[in-house]
Amino acid sequence: MLAIQVLINALVLGCLYACIAIGFSLVWGVLNVINLIHGSFIVLGAYLAWGAYNSLGLSPWYALLIAAPAFFVFGYLLQRLLLNRVITAPVLVTLTLTFGLDLILNNAMIYYFKADYRKLILNPPTGSISIFDVVVPVDRLIATASALALTFLLYLLLRRSKVGRAIVAVRLDRDAAVLMGVNVKSIYAVAFGLGAALAGCAGVLMALIFPISPLTSSAYLGKAFVVCVLGGLGSVSGALAGGILLALVEGVGSVYLGPAHAVTLSFVLLIIFLVVRPQGLLGRKGFE
Amino acid sequence: MFHPRLALKAFSASLLLAAASLGAAMSGASAQDVIRFGAPLPITGPLAPEAVKQQQGYDLWAEQANKAGGINVGGKKYKVEIVYSDYQSNTPRSVQTTEQMITQDKVNFMFGPFGSGAAKAASTIAEKYKVPMLAATASSSQVYDQNYKYLFGTFTPNDTLTTPLTQLVKAKAADVKKVAILARNDLFPLAIAQEMEKSAKANGLEVVYFEKYAINTLDHSATLSQIKSLNPQWVFVTGYTNDLLLIRKQMVDQQMKAGVVTMIAGPAYQEFIESAGQSAENISSASWWHPAEQYNGKDIFGSTANFVKLFKDKYKLEPDYAHASAAVCGALFQMAIEKAGSLDRDKVRDELAKMDVVTFWGPVKFGANGQINSLEPPVFQIQAGKPVVLFPDAIKQGEFKLGVN
Repeated sequence: MLAIQVLINALVLGCLYACIAIGFSLVWGVLNVINLIHGSFIVLGAYLAWGAYNSLGLSPWYALLIAAPAFFVFGYLLQRLLLNRVITAPVLVTLTLTFGLDLILNNAMIYYFKADYRKLILNPPTGSISIFDVVVPVDRLIATASALALTFLLYLLLRRSKVGRAIVAVRLDRDAAVLMGVNVKSIYAVAFGLGAALAGCAGVLMALIFPISPLTSSAYLGKAFVVCVLGGLGSVSGALAGGILLALVEGVGSVYLGPAHAVTLSFVLLIIFLVVRPQGLLGRKGFE
Repeated sequence: MFHPRLALKAFSASLLLAAASLGAAMSGASAQDVIRFGAPLPITGPLAPEAVKQQQGYDLWAEQANKAGGINVGGKKYKVEIVYSDYQSNTPRSVQTTEQMITQDKVNFMFGPFGSGAAKAASTIAEKYKVPMLAATASSSQVYDQNYKYLFGTFTPNDTLTTPLTQLVKAKAADVKKVAILARNDLFPLAIAQEMEKSAKANGLEVVYFEKYAINTLDHSATLSQIKSLNPQWVFVTGYTNDLLLIRKQMVDQQMKAGVVTMIAGPAYQEFIESAGQSAENISSASWWHPAEQYNGKDIFGSTANFVKLFKDKYKLEPDYAHASAAVCGALFQMAIEKAGSLDRDKVRDELAKMDVVTFWGPVKFGANGQINSLEPPVFQIQAGKPVVLFPDAIKQGEFKLGVN
């Protein structure tokens, strides 16, 4: 019974990890920018959900509707006004820029929200479902379903819409896309905006599950990083596969080796993948 | 002939000069009747919330001391000035900062950095320069086992928290036989968990689970499922506020129930109680001080009630042991300096060493190694959203309740 419970836990957690990582993966895959602000975006999204619930009484499901467009605009402007200026520079320059922006955003959040840990407590609480002694918390299930829905929406957008095709085209071959008349700078801004919107939505969902503090941003960023490397960059389904693999390894590892080694194990897995399969589980060679 | 531009220049030059001489005169005056206390704190980084608490405690003491005219040194009043420095939650940097404060900022006395690890590291510097250092948040006995002459601390050893707790549970909950212990893999939380393991075994309880979780763990579901499958009647978890909030939430998610759930050190903090909401009910804990205590002290704050009132007036929140310990460190320095009647570091050190006094924090007397040995830390439980003291009997506010859902 313990084995089944651990497996279910890992599946649910894996979807949450995918939700954390997918925006990061999109930005990295399309723009070749390692977006270090990603973790702070998630935390900001969590504060948005917390504030909307506690001061306006808005349920997190409505907060999702606010977060998505607000973060899209924020991300779009950030890319248009700042990142596009250095996008052609070596990867270290964009990395440094997002690092600096992350310091500013994170410290601004510490300043305004304080470093105290807060918790969004739904009233009434959502509780848990139990089937034959296997327990699944409802808020995690909802977050998982939302994560899957967001992933599916992104997949549709990339496959079916004109903008989506342009994003994929830029990712595959930037120069050819330019020759075909794609406005690359604007596509970059849209992709970054989408990444930010996904981070903001992830933050709203995480607010239901994890304590909220600016200090947690690095933990989210770390998970996003590992999931992307495991799953493959820029691939929507890769993020899902990477998230579930990571959660499984952590879950099984913490039962059989003790929780102290779960994090170590996940980074060992990261190193093995970097050496043996750098393109990730579902990534294709040449895109990394 | 009148040259407006020249006149303006001359005027502004004289203004500058006047300002400069005024500044010099002021700094000259303040350098003489001020006592400077160095306080290295993790103002940024993961330990930032702890730094805020200590800073609030020091500031409250400095404000009270200065309001009363300052510290009386042999008939002359000196103002208190606290020199803060950020060591960014980085222990090696706390050592550098301490040295910088002593050699460059010319502080008279030192407060210790946060926690046991950093306090132990920085105390080496204080010892080298023979500067008395009061550590407000260092409990592990390893901090004091170097037998330094200039280091003093206001937290009793960790086993003074776990032993009364175990005895209380043993007395009130006879059917508690199995304990599961989960500890954050960090100096203080792990040390407390190890003490718990010892006192559980000494009291005939079976420890069915003892594991550490890594710092920055984002999910505990697998661990908690495993603990649940072992059916312990007592779940004992150590960590900081974020860990404990997350673990408590995941315990509820997994529908884990136990007769006794103890968490150290979150429940002593108001933010834990607020953030955990209903799920904080009946969680037990222990800490070095509690606002419900009723001591009549000889220090500047006087009674515990007066300290709590002053603190609430200034910060609009309930003080916890971290705030109080920082404030009492200031008050102890003040008493030692006034008794010594001098700013001589060795004389003040000797006064601290032979101190035997009741304060709002409780009775204060340091052992030969510098660690306080006179406190009786309270055991408490969250009942109806409020911490209720269960032990010691002198300040008991309620009865121990079983059952955490």
